[in-house]
Amino acid sequence: MRFQGIAAFACATAISTGSAIAGGTDLTVFDWSGYEDPGFFASYMEKYGNEAPSYSYFGSQEEAFTKLSSGFTADLAHPCSDAVRKWVAADLIQPLDESKLTNWADVLPEIKEVDAIVLDGQLYMLPFEWGNTGLIYRTDKISGDDISLQLLADPAYAGKIAIPDAASSAYALAALATGNADDYTNLSDEQFKEASDFLRSIHPNMRFYWSDAGQFDQAMTSGEIELGWAWNQSELNLIWNEVPAAMMRDVDKGIATWACGYVHLKSSTTPVDQVYDLLNALTDPASGQYIIDNWGYPHSNAKAFEVADQANIEAYGFSDPKSFFEGSLFFDAVNPELEAKMLAEFERIKAGF
Amino acid sequence: MIFRSEASRGYTLSAPATAYVGFLVAAPLLILIAYSFWTQTYVTLDKTPTLKNYRDAFADPLVRHLMLRSVWIAGAVTIATVALAYPIAYFIAMKARKKTIWLLLITIPFWSSYLLRVFAWKLILGFNGVMNSALLMLGLIDEPLDFLLYNEFAVVLTLAHAWAPFAILPIYVSLQKIDPSLLEAATDLGNSPLQRFMRVTLPLTIPGIIAACLIIFIPTVGDYVTPALVGGSDGKMIANLIQVQFGAANNWPLGATLSMIAMLSVGFVAIVFVITATRLGRRIR
Repeated sequence: MRFQGIAAFACATAISTGSAIAGGTDLTVFDWSGYEDPGFFASYMEKYGNEAPSYSYFGSQEEAFTKLSSGFTADLAHPCSDAVRKWVAADLIQPLDESKLTNWADVLPEIKEVDAIVLDGQLYMLPFEWGNTGLIYRTDKISGDDISLQLLADPAYAGKIAIPDAASSAYALAALATGNADDYTNLSDEQFKEASDFLRSIHPNMRFYWSDAGQFDQAMTSGEIELGWAWNQSELNLIWNEVPAAMMRDVDKGIATWACGYVHLKSSTTPVDQVYDLLNALTDPASGQYIIDNWGYPHSNAKAFEVADQANIEAYGFSDPKSFFEGSLFFDAVNPELEAKMLAEFERIKAGF
Repeated sequence: MIFRSEASRGYTLSAPATAYVGFLVAAPLLILIAYSFWTQTYVTLDKTPTLKNYRDAFADPLVRHLMLRSVWIAGAVTIATVALAYPIAYFIAMKARKKTIWLLLITIPFWSSYLLRVFAWKLILGFNGVMNSALLMLGLIDEPLDFLLYNEFAVVLTLAHAWAPFAILPIYVSLQKIDPSLLEAATDLGNSPLQRFMRVTLPLTIPGIIAACLIIFIPTVGDYVTPALVGGSDGKMIANLIQVQFGAANNWPLGATLSMIAMLSVGFVAIVFVITATRLGRRIR
């Protein structure tokens, strides 16, 4: 879901050379597709005879949750911070040992504060990458001064907008647009109604609710849609394809931030040291530099920002991580009752009710 | 002798198939029924039997709306497919010389995966797709048409194409079985070609038409991937709501209930259809 690209190349290189020294492939990671890129864990490969871990993939966190709760086993998994509470409640993951995480001290202090990274005093997720979900627009059709979330409801853009087919993301947008961003995880009935009404008001303009980022990117490229709610990956894809598009990064106008990372599954059978070797490789500044320069994604290690190409950091819009962590809506876990309400109401809104 | 009677021989012979069907159809169905009476509380299942899911589902206008739309779309697909398939089947059975080659050609859509065929339609109907590009090039339109994709029409079109062979084959078989001497007799007795078709050919192919309708209607009511890809928000069907319950909503019991309601609705419509069609067929005769 989150990254595509580069994956095929990564697969091809990851599979080559397999002399068995310590069995690097014994470790299995349950991940989004694309994260098997060897650039992310070079030091692990060095240690384990140039062998990469084995990867299994999921397309959405819900799919991952369903699969893991029905007995799928792996050593590590890669959800985002909003899923951690639920995964802990379902007894799927075990706490991490900070003393074995060699890069823990260098992890951005803001990201350590993210909700559910630490629960009941125990660390459950090692943050790996983060990014924004925001309003992406065609800069040749809409000027940077005019752009706002309210534009989504403007009849002038009938059939020209798209938002994700995901209730939590849609409600994050709605909470921002109705000025309820601070209460996103715990909206009152009245705030919930305001947010739902906003989503209803933009429904008539909707070309489609996108389910994969590729669909969104293609529609933006062709001009089928002119603005929409999407991940920074889409902005980068558009920039790399020379489409005049940008993400509205003004925290006052409304932008959301997410963080994802690795969790240690209870079903893990590989020796703990090997698991931590991969975790440490993933959070190495060199891995961070690689992900920033080659993928355009901000990493969790503060030192990675020092070694990465500063021009890239500037161009991809995360030179000031602090502003996003403080000023934007953060994708924290929504209280379960509210989440169920959001899901039910979102289905209704999409059907035109 | 191991097989003492005809009956026991029959049971023994059908045992492997019975076991297969039992494990892969009956058992999952029983699990589904059980789930539909349970409830979900956050990450755990409450296994106290209750009708709550059914009450919620029946009270929900969204469920009714999507169920009716699913039946409507599947009905439209069935009518369109059978109406288009009949002349093709008639041609192959009555007029074509190289029947085998024609039948082979009919199955060509099945040589690629269902998903690919759905994607192909997305490419054809898309904003900058084949259809719009062609119309733009011919100068018939000034800007791409956006009503081709993401609506009920796109769903009906895609399904009608994907299921065409399922309609052609049963109708072909029923046409093939017609004794030519019956048609000759009708002509000898002074029937015009149209009368002959209405009084002999059509009634004799009613079983084929019924089979074709059921084969198309039943699976398309519950189709998930076509509405998900080409349906947009106006073309969503009941299966998409069921998928949400098993996925994002993590409410398997409600998903199971919706599946049960969908199955019962399909069963009801199918039974009514078969009875009506059989009666109509008798009347024509």
